[in-house]
Amino acid sequence: MNKLLIKGIIGAGFLFLVASCTKTDNIAGPDSAFQGNIIDSVTGKNLVTETGGVQIELKQLSWSANPDPYYIPSKPDGTFEDTRIFSGHYSVIPTQGAFWPVDSILKDIKGATSQNFTVVPYLEITNVTHTQNADSLVMTFQLQAPRTNGLPQIIDATEFVNNTPFVGGGAFIQSFYNESSATVSINSNWSSAIGTTTYRTVVHNLQPGWTYYARIGVRLNDSYKKYDLSDIVQVAMPTK
Amino acid sequence: MKSIKYITVILAASILGACHKLDTPPLGVISDEQVFTNANAIQAYMADIYTNLPIEDFVYEPNSGFLTGNGGRWQNFYHTDAIDGEMVGPYGGTGDAAQGFGFWPYDKIRVINVLINKLPAYASNFTPSQVNEWLGEAYFCRAYTYFALVKRYGGVPIVRTVIDPNASVASLQVPRDKEEDVYNFIASDFDSAFALMTDPGSNIPQGSASKYAAPAYKSRAMLYAGTIAKYGAANYVAGDAQAKGIVGIPSADASKFFQEAYDAAKLVEGHFSLYTGGYPDKQQNYVDIFLKPNKEDIFLRQYTQSDPNQNGDNAGPHSWDATMTCRIMTADGLSRAYPSEDFVERFGPLPVVNPDGTPTRFTNRADLMNGLEPRLLATVYFPGATLRGINFDVQRGIYKTFAGSAAQELNNSLTSPNDVQTGSNVNLYLGDINAVANGLNVIGRAGVSTNGDDLTRTGFYVRKYIDYNKPASACGLYQSTQSYIDMRYAEVLLNRAEAAMELGTGAMQADALSDINQVRDRAGAVPATVSMTIDTIRNERCKELAFEHQYWWDIRRWRTADQVLNNRNMYALLPYFISSESKYIFLKQLEPFKRTYNFQKLWYYEPLPGGELGKNPNLFPNNPGY
Repeated sequence: MNKLLIKGIIGAGFLFLVASCTKTDNIAGPDSAFQGNIIDSVTGKNLVTETGGVQIELKQLSWSANPDPYYIPSKPDGTFEDTRIFSGHYSVIPTQGAFWPVDSILKDIKGATSQNFTVVPYLEITNVTHTQNADSLVMTFQLQAPRTNGLPQIIDATEFVNNTPFVGGGAFIQSFYNESSATVSINSNWSSAIGTTTYRTVVHNLQPGWTYYARIGVRLNDSYKKYDLSDIVQVAMPTK
Repeated sequence: MKSIKYITVILAASILGACHKLDTPPLGVISDEQVFTNANAIQAYMADIYTNLPIEDFVYEPNSGFLTGNGGRWQNFYHTDAIDGEMVGPYGGTGDAAQGFGFWPYDKIRVINVLINKLPAYASNFTPSQVNEWLGEAYFCRAYTYFALVKRYGGVPIVRTVIDPNASVASLQVPRDKEEDVYNFIASDFDSAFALMTDPGSNIPQGSASKYAAPAYKSRAMLYAGTIAKYGAANYVAGDAQAKGIVGIPSADASKFFQEAYDAAKLVEGHFSLYTGGYPDKQQNYVDIFLKPNKEDIFLRQYTQSDPNQNGDNAGPHSWDATMTCRIMTADGLSRAYPSEDFVERFGPLPVVNPDGTPTRFTNRADLMNGLEPRLLATVYFPGATLRGINFDVQRGIYKTFAGSAAQELNNSLTSPNDVQTGSNVNLYLGDINAVANGLNVIGRAGVSTNGDDLTRTGFYVRKYIDYNKPASACGLYQSTQSYIDMRYAEVLLNRAEAAMELGTGAMQADALSDINQVRDRAGAVPATVSMTIDTIRNERCKELAFEHQYWWDIRRWRTADQVLNNRNMYALLPYFISSESKYIFLKQLEPFKRTYNFQKLWYYEPLPGGELGKNPNLFPNNPGY
């Protein structure tokens, strides 16, 4: 009798255990993908930027009214892609970049989803030249503003140099950055004089035999102080 | 057998009979009545409030918080001023601590609100002045706590009452108030504190608030509000919270806040004074401000060595002596934060370069200190200075010979003819603490080392608050008990000067000049002149309040942090020995770790803690950029 009772209790206990096992996680994994291009309205091509030069901000409205924002950083070629996104209804906006603010859009992300964004950069860097001297790299360039009314103050333009092709405001060799001739301070609002000036930057002490990558970045005093960037130039220093 | 039934019935009856006594107050819970009818109990209640007051003291860490009862609280070098460039230190950069530690002290605010809301009902047990003093202190502590919140987050929920935890969830989810409203609330609480407390005369209490501490702190808070209004209107991160005024203050209200800051600071005049008890030696006098109780102290946190549980609460001892100077002068511990040359140069350029550009030769390193401002020498230990009979033997390396200018060595690129380190013609010897070249130690016993960071790498050590009277054996971890001065009269003068200068009229500028020159005279500095600008006053503030957790908040409220900490490397002043001349030179070079300090604009406000956002959707929108 007692044995039967104990067996019964143990059996019932197992039933409870098994019953609780059926509560599986029924939320789908992040099995959707979201990708696209950030297009420069002036050139009509992809925005020339750097890793994280633009962030695509996603807010999953189908999850919560106040979702934590999720960011997809841009790639240097002006594309973005994330293949681990939860399916759902999102508010999406390109932000934290050196361009005029745009409006967010609503987007249902399910499966492989694409979306392009067109942005107006604060400044275009034009007529870029680079000249290699003994141990220095001289760059000249001009600035053009697609829109001038309400443009944030222009802070400075900097020649960024790195020894990898990942070069920009977030990847540079600090000792070149510390050189005063590498940066042109502007600290003024847009004027026609800025549009006609040819700016010049120099970095020195490049090492013989090294290959460097360089570009110009110009930043404005908006919320994020990110850089509008020129194309990357590759410079091989001759061996001594 | 039957008798068992009867016994059971009787027992049951006696148990049920006891039921009417279940209404007695539980012995494990102290009731409001027990606390608020007993002066000693109220005193203990106040002590708890003060213990938990968010004072940025010796043990405060900008990325970990106030560390009540935390085992990490010996590491006093994790200092706010090690992320803002006054010091280079253990942090990899500004970002290591710029987003705070999720400070959210509404439990502490509740404790204060309980006293403010419930004590008046028991007032008949005490004299009115007793009750008013306690209430005044409580208002002071509430304003103090809200100020610690608003300077981090901007607008936060203002809670004045004791909220019933059983109320509906919706009513518990208190929304954020505007930043300006929080500052106005703080001002009114400090006003209440001032009105309620009695003038202690010359008998100012130590370690608790007093009547004239309230306007002293009000001047600080109102100055913050004024500068945020004036400069935050131009330099901000756009976002919902900013558009709604939850962060940011309308620029039109700047002068109102500056006037309040000025008036509050003026109110303190005559009740405290700058310490001059150590005159005529102005350097020694300045050192002793921080070590001897004096009339400059407005609000202190005290520490005690007798605390049996050293980590147990904020009353236990700290470790400033053991973790801010060199191990060769202490019993144990280690240092990791060192004043930067950039900070030292706030006092003017050091005479280390001759007019022809060559480095000045010194027979003794200590000769560099000749003629420098006493306050600088009292704030920073220079190479060649002495503590507890031991010399700050700081040397970066040895040059056999040194030719040419100092400028070519500036960027530490080690590519000049002087800098040959390998091959048969070695001229520059660098190394670790054991390295020897031609019978001479390559580096000093107090640095400069690049192996590890427990010896200086800027050439300097902190002197402020270092207790020179104690023997090295008494300078170990958890052995320091000097008080932390959270508010002193020099700051009130600096608040007053800055507010007056921002107000800008002729009379106000004259007042600002007089305030600054009181501070400068005591410091042994040359007086300022009428050509003084707001930058003069700001620089004076940085010099006077160095290593006091001030500069970080100052560059935030001035909205200059993103410019002064712009991918910035700090500099060091490194002594070298030239063996061919038997002389020392000092080269200004990048600090050897080349840590980069960069401030992103979104850090002008910290992000609200994620856990709080999850509990209370009315805290949205989060601060811009987060």
